[in-house]
Amino acid sequence: MSEPELLWERWLRLAEENPDAPAIVHWVAGEEPFRWRRGALMSAAAGYAVHLLERGVKRGDVCAIIIRHHREVYPIYLAVSLIGALPAVLAYPNPRLHPLKFRDGLIGMSRRSGLDWLLAERALEPIVRPLLETGESTIRDLLFPLEWTGGSGTLPHQPAGRQRSSDPCLLQHSSGTTGLQKPVTLSHAAVLEHVRRYGQSIALSESDRVVSWLPLYHDMGLIAALHLPLAAGIPTVQLDPFEWIVAPVILLDAIHRERGTLCWLPNFAYNLLAERSPEEELEEIRLDSMRLFVNCSEPVRAESHERFLARFERYGVRAESLSACYAMAETTFAATQTAPGSAARVLDVSRDELSRGRFRLAEEGEAVRRCVSSGAPIGGCEVEVVDEQRRPVAGTHVGELRIRSVSMFDGYRNYPEKTAEILEGAWYYSGDYGFLHGGECYVIGRKKDVIIVAGKNIYPEDVEDAVSRVAGIMPGRVVAFGVDDEALGTEQIAIVGETERAGEDELSTLRRHVIEAAMQLDITISRVYLVPPRWLIKSSSGKPSRSANRARALDELSVSDGVHFG
Amino acid sequence: MISQRLKNVILGVLHLEDFDFKDSTTAAEVPGWDSLKHVAILTAVEQEYAIRFRSLEVIRLGNVGELQALIDRKAPPV
Repeated sequence: MSEPELLWERWLRLAEENPDAPAIVHWVAGEEPFRWRRGALMSAAAGYAVHLLERGVKRGDVCAIIIRHHREVYPIYLAVSLIGALPAVLAYPNPRLHPLKFRDGLIGMSRRSGLDWLLAERALEPIVRPLLETGESTIRDLLFPLEWTGGSGTLPHQPAGRQRSSDPCLLQHSSGTTGLQKPVTLSHAAVLEHVRRYGQSIALSESDRVVSWLPLYHDMGLIAALHLPLAAGIPTVQLDPFEWIVAPVILLDAIHRERGTLCWLPNFAYNLLAERSPEEELEEIRLDSMRLFVNCSEPVRAESHERFLARFERYGVRAESLSACYAMAETTFAATQTAPGSAARVLDVSRDELSRGRFRLAEEGEAVRRCVSSGAPIGGCEVEVVDEQRRPVAGTHVGELRIRSVSMFDGYRNYPEKTAEILEGAWYYSGDYGFLHGGECYVIGRKKDVIIVAGKNIYPEDVEDAVSRVAGIMPGRVVAFGVDDEALGTEQIAIVGETERAGEDELSTLRRHVIEAAMQLDITISRVYLVPPRWLIKSSSGKPSRSANRARALDELSVSDGVHFG
Repeated sequence: MISQRLKNVILGVLHLEDFDFKDSTTAAEVPGWDSLKHVAILTAVEQEYAIRFRSLEVIRLGNVGELQALIDRKAPPV
């Protein structure tokens, strides 16, 4: 019986079968795209692999890659894998990030993840070199692969020695604020099996083309937009995230020109695209080729889909292409996916019943929460709802979602205590709160963020949504959390919201409007903290972190900054 | 040379009282000027000067001097 295929064996096989087939389209706005064909891509990767071996990189070493959008980053990434080392893509530091903060982050990450090598741009040398000299990190050396020339393009036979499909093939970091990211290693088998199963769930075919602006340090960018197309043998078009945020319309231009069919997006991108795509730049754009826009990695909002459809329907976007997925780095990527060919279902659920930990469709006149389905579990994956004691609950219960998957990770690297918290037997306890209905999964919040006020569950997303809509509050720049009220023996709700308004009178009026907006949902906000723009701490995924901001607010803001009601 | 008009627009969006803008000033040097604020500044400039930028024009902007030059091309100072 033959050994199961390894990830890089798949790439090599596909390149051998059809070396001229398109693999990666490297997109830079306003320039002719650079097109990697399978054969040339693997040949370039082999060249980099030889360089890596010559510099002492060995099988099992972790190679952090910190390189901006560059056409060589793909063969460099593949080269690390070819020699049996583990690539780990990290975010390139923002220019405003203090070098010491960046260095501290790397030290923390290297100690946890065991980073051995740093493959970077020369511009980072002054910042990172001191790390090597002080010995504060595990990083052995800095390498600058963009400067390497003359790779032979031919690898020695079995460069990595015989690997097994259960061996790790990559390391990615689950989302978290700086220093709290959890390293996830995935095996060849997990990735290949995931590509196969997830591919089935989205009816992946040879005619598909992925278009993505997502950074490769994010699991959605790395797995859905790079590994899936590479292993499935379909092209992927890679845009620069920094160009996209300034000019979101370039994604639509790339879809149009490359006849894209698949695109994964976080929810906020639907709003940004709808708002920031100038009419005059859409004149020649057609989006009819798109089979699926997959909304994933932050709570899916029905309103965002509706805005997106209203804006782009006349350019060819179809309602049934608006799908959703529930995914996490720990299960390689997707756990559930809505069925291709039909729009993600939206349920109007009784908000009152949800607050009691149950699910029921809303009746007329009831306060409603619109819940968007993330679809049914993909093949090889099971999702269950459990109670506080981690016992499965059936029917209409809302509870923590636990997942069992053939593509499960093997635990956080060098983090057994964190692994023990969330992995029990074959089940991964997600910390996400949701319910199952009609065989589909609805994720409605994070379990640990639920605020319990006098026995009533309040989902901070609800409060944040309501406050976000108040004129004067910056949309999406709100966090809600519970604050212990010892006298009452329960939690009270506090919010921190960013506003551009200033002046006590204006702020006072705004605070009142915030409280009134929540009251309409039968939610009482006890403390309103209004803070200037950029005050909120973001997690690495770009979303305001509730826990970090809760800690900061309680530490830095006095009650006089807020309004304390009753 | 950065005009007072452009300076006021940027300061207004960033809620800054003052900043010594030079042609070579980059976004990273200005407090609060991140990628999302960048989008807000461009929108505010478009409104102030009644002009529209194209995507490629704004992607290529490297510093405030280049933004000023772009504005001057689209809305020549009188």
